Amino acid sequence: MSGALECKHARVAIGGEPQVLSAEVAQHVATCAACAKFHDETLAMEGRLKAALELPLHRFRKLPEPARVAPRRFALAASVLLAMLVGGGAWLFRPQPALAGEVVEHVKHEPGSWQVHEPVSPEALAAVLAKAGVRYDTRFPVTYASPCPFRGHIVPHLVVQTDHGPLTVMVLAHVTAEGAGEFSEGEYHGVVLPAGAGSIAVVAREGQEFDGYVETLREGVR
Amino acid sequence: MNPSPRGNTATSAFARLLETLRPDLVRFAFWLARDRAVAEDVVQETLIRAWKSREEIKDPAATRPWLLTIVRREHARLYERKRLPTVDLADAEAQGDPALLASDSSDGEAGLDDLRRAILQLPDEYREPLVLQVLGGMTTAEIGEQLGLTQSAVLTRLFRARNRLRVIYGLAPTEDVE
Repeated sequence: MSGALECKHARVAIGGEPQVLSAEVAQHVATCAACAKFHDETLAMEGRLKAALELPLHRFRKLPEPARVAPRRFALAASVLLAMLVGGGAWLFRPQPALAGEVVEHVKHEPGSWQVHEPVSPEALAAVLAKAGVRYDTRFPVTYASPCPFRGHIVPHLVVQTDHGPLTVMVLAHVTAEGAGEFSEGEYHGVVLPAGAGSIAVVAREGQEFDGYVETLREGVR
Repeated sequence: MNPSPRGNTATSAFARLLETLRPDLVRFAFWLARDRAVAEDVVQETLIRAWKSREEIKDPAATRPWLLTIVRREHARLYERKRLPTVDLADAEAQGDPALLASDSSDGEAGLDDLRRAILQLPDEYREPLVLQVLGGMTTAEIGEQLGLTQSAVLTRLFRARNRLRVIYGLAPTEDVE
């Protein structure tokens, strides 16, 4: 013990907040070798303590998927996601649903994209593609073009007009697809397939023909 | 997709902020729940609530403690609603958490996993203020406010938490206080 402060009380203060000592505790530490040693030891622990608490979250992904939340909560999360996507925000909630589901969710939340029939100007389309860092050519009229946040990247969300109606095309330069994967989700169906260094998603209304356009749409990816 | 520019800017900024803070929220939730699946659920609920209440936040600097508060509430709410059993550490490891706690060279330092196990074994009342302080960057006064404790009680709990962890560093625990 040294001074008016008892060692055990000084150590509570040190152990409680080792990096911020009151004047009284600091004075005690300055004159008590044992408490000074305790302070040094405690400070030395802090770096590793912080490192231990900062869990390596990538390890979470090594684990099998746990049972997930109830559908109602997914629906609620999706509605919030919509708000965030509309606001230009990022995809926050993980684990994410399957890619096809994410694409459909995205399309569902921009229903107006299929209501536009006037082609966007080449300049506007070029601006969207440039913002996404993507090169894409198509012979179909593009009636909707928006740079949308998707999986943490900006992707071009396009709608092209075909003889069978509008098709949504999302050029996912940052998403690798092993092979073509068709999907059907509620009122939508489509396909995700490799294109260029990434992939492309084509979405149509349920029952709408799209197969005949897929290859041409894919070839547009540069 | 043409929201008003001002609203869009604020909304995007808030979304980016949430994305930045999300990893620490998951970590905090994990240390509370000691279960990664529960932690993910808690954070998902937290982000939903935060998003709905984003107008309440005027000062971006206040977002982090505000979110930590929501995580705590959601964690408590989840346990209350689902009546989840408290997590037994052995069970948690059997369910897959060893992968989280297994040796990983990316940690750069051997022994962190032992420390993590020791932290998991701390009583909730010691672990939570420790995480709020070290991970959340809160002062003892702020922790006291969060947990409804006096600053003195917070200091004591933090001291006891660190005192129990000393053995992991090969150090003898020091005398406790009444």
